[in-house]
Amino acid sequence: MTAIAQNDLEQVESKPKKRTASAFQRVFKYSAARLASLLFSVIVAIFLTIIIANMGGYVDELRMGEIRETVVQAARANVAYRALPPDQFQALVETQIQEQAHVEGLDRPFLLRALNYMKNALTLNLGNAVRMTSDTGSKQVRLIILERLPPTLLLWGVSGFLLFFVEIGVALSLSRQYGSWLDKLFVTMAPLSTTPGWFFGIFLILIFASFLRVLPFGGMVDAPVPDNTLDYSLSLAKHLILPTLALTLSQVFLQIYNWRTFFLIYSSEDYVEIAKAKGLSDKAIERNYVLRPTLPSIITNFALTLIALWLGGPITETIFNWPGLGRAFYEAVQFYDTPVILGQTVIYAYLLAFTVFLLDYLYALVDPRVKIGGGSQP
Amino acid sequence: MNQQTPLLQLQELTLHFRTSRGAMRAVDGVDFSLGHGEAVVVLGESGCGKSSLARAILRLLPRNVQTYRGQVYLDGRELMSIEDEEFRKAIRWARISMVPQAAMNSLNPVMKVGDQVAEPMIVHGGVAKEAALANARKMFQHVGVPTDFLDRYAFELSGGMRQRVAIAMALVTAPDLIILDEPTSALDVLTQANIMNVLKRIKKELGVSYILITHDIATSSELADRVAVMYAGQIVEVGDARSFFAAPLHPYSQKLMASVPRLRGDQEPDFITGHPPSLLDLPKGCRFADRCPLRMAKCAEEPPTFNKHGRLVKCWLHG
Repeated sequence: MTAIAQNDLEQVESKPKKRTASAFQRVFKYSAARLASLLFSVIVAIFLTIIIANMGGYVDELRMGEIRETVVQAARANVAYRALPPDQFQALVETQIQEQAHVEGLDRPFLLRALNYMKNALTLNLGNAVRMTSDTGSKQVRLIILERLPPTLLLWGVSGFLLFFVEIGVALSLSRQYGSWLDKLFVTMAPLSTTPGWFFGIFLILIFASFLRVLPFGGMVDAPVPDNTLDYSLSLAKHLILPTLALTLSQVFLQIYNWRTFFLIYSSEDYVEIAKAKGLSDKAIERNYVLRPTLPSIITNFALTLIALWLGGPITETIFNWPGLGRAFYEAVQFYDTPVILGQTVIYAYLLAFTVFLLDYLYALVDPRVKIGGGSQP
Repeated sequence: MNQQTPLLQLQELTLHFRTSRGAMRAVDGVDFSLGHGEAVVVLGESGCGKSSLARAILRLLPRNVQTYRGQVYLDGRELMSIEDEEFRKAIRWARISMVPQAAMNSLNPVMKVGDQVAEPMIVHGGVAKEAALANARKMFQHVGVPTDFLDRYAFELSGGMRQRVAIAMALVTAPDLIILDEPTSALDVLTQANIMNVLKRIKKELGVSYILITHDIATSSELADRVAVMYAGQIVEVGDARSFFAAPLHPYSQKLMASVPRLRGDQEPDFITGHPPSLLDLPKGCRFADRCPLRMAKCAEEPPTFNKHGRLVKCWLHG
């Protein structure tokens, strides 16, 4: 080695080799702190949901009114009570109302009940729905959610994946041909995405179902349900086309615009220019010099797309009569069915927290600059 | 090698950019040639089009190019008419490589620097990865980077080390010509001197040619065989380093040299009054005329390039 090199060596800090033990400790400490803070967020989110879903206790009052009405109606209709004097009748009714309220726990203060709700929610003890039932007739929230899950996963999974890969692919190619007419077209179309999916849905139904009569209005399979797997899948695919198209149309332009700008910024980095000067092919530059450095952002986006599947879309699913979680949520809100709302929210909150937790480790895997709990690098 | 044909020859090389305020004439008809194993320093102020000249040679064009024309000959082969794909495979880094201005950002943050240095060999030489890495190791030794740095990432290196890695990367395919775009301007003085020593040694050992683009007259004088002075998108003077540094011909070069502080003697550094003209709105005639202390009536006309004892100068004084 030359003298110059040795001279310069002192400027470089020697690489820390004492890894294993301290690294394990660091990661463990970091993970514990992270889990604690995420759990706190989940608790706050669920508590807020309980307050909101119960309209701050107003839903209890509504329920009391309903109980009163039912009890009074039943008592009036009961021949045995006809002969009772009014004040005795009134006392009897009041006792029955109190009994029913006690059975449903409505005689306890709302805050206490909210805490109880929360304990059950956090332990995933989702309980029974107030009004909704599953198709098999069960009132268990767990069964209702499990029954509605597959259709939602199918619809939002198909459109989510389609959207994600289309937008990344198109955006990459647009970022390469910045300023071309195609690029300008997509930029101009971006505001279209202010229109929600269900709005496109109505038009698509009008055009393809009502006017052209080539695709079904809604639902998931034909009635009667086809009995062999092939026909069933074909029927399913046919019913998937319109909702998927509606969801894709409503988001694709804005997302492409977003990603294109994102890639444009990262393609003007000096190292991309050098990669070009090095004579690498466009494909290699895209893969190693644009996509790889931006992988954390892409993974984040993809992970959030994945867990958003669990929410479905209330209005879009309703428009297309799609028996998914989104529609279940819509119905639950309509009926003040707190356990169902809470059940869906708590699962989503846990999933989101878990994903955020996992993402930190993924970042550390794909980006050498990121170290778990390592603080900032120079 | 044929000493008669120059390694690189530019004729009327022109690169104009489209901006919202009209055409920006960054490189405006540059003629210039460079022999084998020769180092030419391109001197000029910031914004005179030096970096654009480097880009024009390597065809690294931004999106807003308006005009890109002229001839570039490499070993007698005309490059401007070559297809992009052929240019990428046969010229970029295979024949001409570069060391960029901001070496801080010129390395991919998520790739090991060894892989980045080896990469051009794999692409152009069709070399297996192990062989390319072995070669990268050799290049690291050449430029004075410890070889265990091959497995490091750019953010783990100091500025001087990154610049050395960038130089190693430029050397790895054994190109004929390396364009150095202000390779030391972001570094401290000690590291600057180290890097210049590395460049000098490599030139002697490997016999490559350099185009060194810089505004730093003092450091560049150590390396230069010839000097080209650029002003407002044009080359105003080309000459061999010895006679240029002793007595520059163009009034701009003279002023430029007078602005360098001297170690001995009590001569105060001089400065040039006024600003260089905007590349968006260039004056007719000689572009330096407005700031020139020796201005004549004839300067309203564009001066041709005069040949004075083998030195080229674009000034009526030498007509």
